[in-house]
Amino acid sequence: MTEQIRGVELHYGAATDVGLVREVNEDSFLAAPPVFVVADGMGGHEGGDVASAIVVEEFGRLADEGYDARRGAEAVAATLRASQDRIAEFGAAHRSRGTRSFYAGTTAVVGLLVEDDEGPKWLLANLGDSRVYRFLDGMLEQVSVDHSVVQELVDAGTITAADAATHPERHVITRALGGPDRAEADYFLLTLPSVERLVLCSDGVTGMIADDAMAEILARVADPRDAADELVAAAVRAGGRDNATAVVVDVVGLATENAYDSERQRVSLEQKLGALP
Amino acid sequence: MNDQEPTTRSFRPGEWFGIFGEHATVILPPTEKARVAALWEMVDGGSGFDETLDALIAAGLRDLPGFVLVSEGEGVTRVVLRGDARASFTAGGETVDLDGSAAGTWVERSLHDVTRMSVEVADESGPADLRITAGLVRLSRLDQPPRATGEEPGGAGPLAAEPLAAEPVSEEPVLGEQPGASAEFDGEATQAVPYLAGEPLIEDETGSQEAVPDEYADEEPPIWVPTPPAPPAPPAPPAPPVPPVPPPPAVPGDEDHDGMTQAGAWGPDELARQQPGIPGQPPAPSVTARPVARLLFSSGETVEVDRAVLVGRAPEARRFTSTEQPRLVTVQSPNQEISSTHLEIRPGSGADHGTAVVTDMGSTNGTVLVQPGLPPDDLQPGIAVQLIPGAILDLGDGVTIQVANP
Repeated sequence: MTEQIRGVELHYGAATDVGLVREVNEDSFLAAPPVFVVADGMGGHEGGDVASAIVVEEFGRLADEGYDARRGAEAVAATLRASQDRIAEFGAAHRSRGTRSFYAGTTAVVGLLVEDDEGPKWLLANLGDSRVYRFLDGMLEQVSVDHSVVQELVDAGTITAADAATHPERHVITRALGGPDRAEADYFLLTLPSVERLVLCSDGVTGMIADDAMAEILARVADPRDAADELVAAAVRAGGRDNATAVVVDVVGLATENAYDSERQRVSLEQKLGALP
Repeated sequence: MNDQEPTTRSFRPGEWFGIFGEHATVILPPTEKARVAALWEMVDGGSGFDETLDALIAAGLRDLPGFVLVSEGEGVTRVVLRGDARASFTAGGETVDLDGSAAGTWVERSLHDVTRMSVEVADESGPADLRITAGLVRLSRLDQPPRATGEEPGGAGPLAAEPLAAEPVSEEPVLGEQPGASAEFDGEATQAVPYLAGEPLIEDETGSQEAVPDEYADEEPPIWVPTPPAPPAPPAPPAPPVPPVPPPPAVPGDEDHDGMTQAGAWGPDELARQQPGIPGQPPAPSVTARPVARLLFSSGETVEVDRAVLVGRAPEARRFTSTEQPRLVTVQSPNQEISSTHLEIRPGSGADHGTAVVTDMGSTNGTVLVQPGLPPDDLQPGIAVQLIPGAILDLGDGVTIQVANP
């Protein structure tokens, strides 16, 4: 199943930056086609970066081992559950060692290719306030709906979307991995042609630069690796108050043979990082 | 100790406002004086948890730096803390410590069988604990059952001096950064009276009698509203379904920041947001074991309805859960007459159980439905209609869907 899915030609890039204020980068990302993840960890004392790394590790395993592309949502849900369990265990272990207030949690946005009778689709999942955008015909559209207090207030009509950007509680999220309860993600299913570019990013990007600035970068910068770099760089230039992470994925087309080997790109990236000999 | 009056709690005079009613207790910071009168009106009138919380947050959380709301009923104690307030409970034999500053919005808990409660909102400034059943006071802490050490009216005067030192043996250390959040309570928990079970709060006499004679307090509580001879407070009306009150879970710990993102103390279920689907319509069984209908598309495609099927020029599904992944069916629309996500067909629920229902998703050009033996009819956007086998849906651009038995 996964093999067929990998026949879709994807170009992608990812970038992350600790920002100018934070000392630790608690964001993690995964770009292991056809699975892409951004996770924004929360919790001091190594809680957040471990939590987000756990999510990335679990989805990395999903990408490596493959999944039933016709049951993508179930695969993602199982992986999120596994992540939740590990994060909860990690938190409990710390608390039992005396750090009573220890807390580790993370957001997660996931984009992966699945398949149905018609062919491949993008399945997206969201927990928290990291975001998935799609870029199509020069327009940037936020696909995911934040699980945040301000989003609830916007939905309830209490405040406007413009108020949300400056609301004092704009960073308070209502669902996350690692909380006491198992939070259910929201899922989205999009056709491939409706997504020229898929963007996953943490709130360190979206909180620092406006959507139109993002759209400008995505329209101007052709290579997704450069686009991801520029998104993060722009967020840092704008103040870098939080860790900033972006993953940009382009569906180039349905690969016929071995037109573009996204496997090879991945391997070479890992080689660069020293992950492979 | 308190064998004479059904005193239910004691407070220590301070700066914060304490509003004690029959069904709810509210504590507000000194800055929120403007709110006090209205809340007193409500709480004294018998308002319960939901109404009171609703009133508290009606103007938004932003302007309310802190508050404590406690309400008891049917063996369950519900508490919400926000801002600089700490509470400690003994519930079912276990100690539960809560800190309102641990969450960006608030911390909420529901606790069963609470035998002891103490709330601390400021460093103690009052000299002695006074008892209260109902009323409006200035306070710095609240204890229920009343703090033990001889605070009977007319008891030993200098009680203020000693209890502070009495270190609780029964109490576990709390989160490190709460100096003495619960340290003052000196273990009167032996009095395991399940006071929640609703000993009638006899407001009339007790209210005024509980006011400790002045000589025992260096400083009189700044406000004292003896409860008027209370007309039997009506039972709290059923809570309106309005407030976005989350169920218990509080995020453990207060270090949940990465500088920006914080986990709120919200459960996953309380979200006011609609589940995916059509507003006002009962949620459909996400996926049925057997298809309820078969759809024959004019393109020749056949699709079985065992889950939601979204049909359109470029259909997409938003905000579904992992167990209900819908099926997307793309239809050709060279003249763009068909909307990107034009209509949804899914297994019906309730009266429509066992059949398929169709809903126009607000398409631009609409959908015509021809049920067997009936004239053509336009679908109303967002209104689900049961499909009878033999029905035909016309989406425009020559695309039709015929409904057949599975």
